[in-house]
Amino acid sequence: MCFNSFFFLFFFMLINFFFFVYFIMNGLSVFFEWEIISFNSMSIVMSILLDWMSLLFMMFVSLISSVVIFYSKSYMNSELNLNRFIILVLMFVFSMVLLIISPNLISILLGWDGLGLISYCLVIYYQNLKSYNAGMLTALSNRIGDVMILMIICWVMNYGSWNYIFYFDFMKNDYVMFIISFMIIIAAMTKSAQIPFSSWLPAAMAAPTPVSALVHSSTLVTAGVYLLIRFNYLLIDMFFFKVLLFLSILTMFMSGISANYEFDLKKIIALSTLSQLGLMMSILSLGFPDIAFFHLLTHAMFKALLFMCAGVIIHMMNDIQDIRYMGGLSLYIPLTSLCLNISNLSLCGIPFLSGFYSKDLILEMVSFNSFNLMVFILFYLSTGLTVFYTFRLIMYVMINDFNLMMIYNLYDEDYIMLNSMFVLLFMSLLSGSFLSWFIFSYPYMIYLPFNLKLMVIYVSILGSILGFMVSNMGIYSLNKLLLSYNLSSFLCLMWFMPNLSTYGLSYIYLNFSQILFKNIDMGWSEIYSGKGIFNILKNYSVFYNIYQMNNFKIYLFSFILWFMILFIFFFI
Amino acid sequence: MNNNSNKMFFLFILFFSTLISISSNSWFGCWIGLEINLLSFIPLISNSKNLLSVETSLKYFLTQSLASINFLFMILIKFSLLKNFNMNNIISIMMNSSLLMKMGSAPFHFWFPNIVEGLSWMNNFMLMTWQKISPMILLSYYFNKNFLIFMIITNLIIGSLGGLNQTSLRKLLAFSSINNLGWMIFSIMISENLWLFYFLIYSMMISMMISLFFLMNMYFMNQLFINNMNFFIKLNLLINFLSLGGLPPFMGFMPKWIIINFLLINKFYFLTFIFMMTSLIIIYYYIRIIYSSFMFNYFKMKWVNLLMKNNMSLINLSSFISISSMILSTFIFM
Repeated sequence: MCFNSFFFLFFFMLINFFFFVYFIMNGLSVFFEWEIISFNSMSIVMSILLDWMSLLFMMFVSLISSVVIFYSKSYMNSELNLNRFIILVLMFVFSMVLLIISPNLISILLGWDGLGLISYCLVIYYQNLKSYNAGMLTALSNRIGDVMILMIICWVMNYGSWNYIFYFDFMKNDYVMFIISFMIIIAAMTKSAQIPFSSWLPAAMAAPTPVSALVHSSTLVTAGVYLLIRFNYLLIDMFFFKVLLFLSILTMFMSGISANYEFDLKKIIALSTLSQLGLMMSILSLGFPDIAFFHLLTHAMFKALLFMCAGVIIHMMNDIQDIRYMGGLSLYIPLTSLCLNISNLSLCGIPFLSGFYSKDLILEMVSFNSFNLMVFILFYLSTGLTVFYTFRLIMYVMINDFNLMMIYNLYDEDYIMLNSMFVLLFMSLLSGSFLSWFIFSYPYMIYLPFNLKLMVIYVSILGSILGFMVSNMGIYSLNKLLLSYNLSSFLCLMWFMPNLSTYGLSYIYLNFSQILFKNIDMGWSEIYSGKGIFNILKNYSVFYNIYQMNNFKIYLFSFILWFMILFIFFFI
Repeated sequence: MNNNSNKMFFLFILFFSTLISISSNSWFGCWIGLEINLLSFIPLISNSKNLLSVETSLKYFLTQSLASINFLFMILIKFSLLKNFNMNNIISIMMNSSLLMKMGSAPFHFWFPNIVEGLSWMNNFMLMTWQKISPMILLSYYFNKNFLIFMIITNLIIGSLGGLNQTSLRKLLAFSSINNLGWMIFSIMISENLWLFYFLIYSMMISMMISLFFLMNMYFMNQLFINNMNFFIKLNLLINFLSLGGLPPFMGFMPKWIIINFLLINKFYFLTFIFMMTSLIIIYYYIRIIYSSFMFNYFKMKWVNLLMKNNMSLINLSSFISISSMILSTFIFM
């Protein structure tokens, strides 16, 4: 099952690649429309849009998913129901492809809802309590986005069809489009985990690692960004775009800080994904959708690779995910640490790896176009924080001493997992340049003063030095976290957003509903409708029964009495 | 007097007496029919070997003869003192009261549960269905609308409230009969055709119920689940009870529906409310009887096996009729 799906998806990737090259070289865009049923004045039509963006994204999705399925053959080989897992992953890929190729809102809704549902199934795959909680948080946060898209479907019916692509040119300043743009931004924010919906992404790390590699690094969370890229032409002058800018740079900043306090390997990687998502959203809301798309694709490559390396390490460390137990792994697992290092450095934006092309372009565009000071500062600060936590991670995992047990066997030669990582390694090295040559037919004009150009390097060096210094822990190190406990807990716990999303939403309402249930359902409404009325009726019936069981003579006499009364009335 | 041919003779006279009563063109003829009715019913229900049935037949005789005497007296007063024929009158109230007493309708109904308790099922069937025909038709000849509406309300309330505390199946059916009398009297005021329709359906439902209880020889509620009824008998019981209560897809809903339709069109809102609420109470105590036989966790004693000897087909047919006749009847109009 694994091999079949791997080969199928790999072949699919190759097809997409060839079509992508053909389409982008010739500037083609194909729109299929299939009329399912047409009845009097109503017609149901299924449409598919294939242009270079959707083909490229499909190629990347199928590449990552094929590699992940191949990887999970070895990662999840002790799983009894591996077929179930593979089928879930395949359904996920199918929903994603449906989302990518659809130019109308109904098939977007199908793909979107499918993504949310299947990611819930995958997050709760290991059926323990933590997975259940994480799955509930994931599913309900995604559900908000689903509701928003359903409402957009309602509103877009004003225009006559659900093919939103055709309406951008004509209806830009309409009130309906205003509402639609608000809702689409909220939908994308829930899917891509911006503030205030960002608590589900670190929690969803309770899923198996192949799922994290596929879903939470490259496909599910980028669906929101992709949707906004499709809708970009509509949103570009709207007020809400500026709100999105604000929220996304705050997300970027917050997750960068929180990743520095984290000690769980997958959570660090999740928070770095969140930071990069904030980066993508912010550059999109500044008005550069193609750069956002570019960063989406390169990020997908190295983040999936990073998750897969984390999976190998977790397997090796006897399923422990805490980085405080790891150390010195570069000496023992050279190939895995090669992949880990390259993906980490690509994340930081080290020159000429894939991440450099997209990240550096983003930062230069931010510096070149005049935005305000806060945007500028937060962008560069977040880049520095990225390097900070990356180097901290590398120090903890690779360089410091090994902390787990006295006797250990660090096994790297699982070539199934390694081969799948090598594919992504190849792509993560080359995809930056390859994509930039394809997507940007001419380079952006950027003219910066010297120090501003080198600002990236200054910030990166600063971050790396800080990362190095922070991870120098000895036996007698002072726990500086406890010195500033309140501030640290605020920054570490993701600015308390998980608490808001879980306790804050459920505690008050559950409390209130308990009061209501006790007092009304089991209280007053019983006495006024349920048992109370029964008691009244029963008492009437008992009274009547006493009245009924009477002397027969009395009854006959009462009848005669009645007639005597009537007689008297008659003769008055 | 266990001789069947005797009973058949009196049964023949009973039927004939009703026909005399309703087809005469003078009030005397009506009274004669009522007397012959009484006289021929008494031998049917009295059985000298059983002291309870003797007492029952005596009670029946006393009440019915009192009512007949009053009826005769009112007829004579009406003929002699009132030369004109106007409806809203004390005399009409008095005549209606005596007829109501003959039927066993409230507020003169106190003999009815007592007597029903003392009779066997087949005699009950006669009492509840056939004996009501001639008083009702006579009621329709000369009724006082205001008095009758008040009596209807009393009927409904007593029929529903009285039955809540009963455990004897006969008394239960007696109170439901009083309740249905309320509906029937109102249907007389609408149209006689509608009364006929209601009466026929009601007697069909009562006949199904009573035949079922007669076959299983059940007189009290605790006997309901001692014998192991198989599924179809329980189903039949359920359907008949719900149909008697007037639940929609069953046959018993149809006449009540037409009556409610009339009520609402002519804006009898308060009366509709009373009809509805008392129906709810009645359905409550029907369902109370049978629901435990239909839950997954029903009460069953294993040492008594009910042997349904013959005529399962009749039971199946009756359930089929109860379920489907309302829907099938709409096909007539297609």
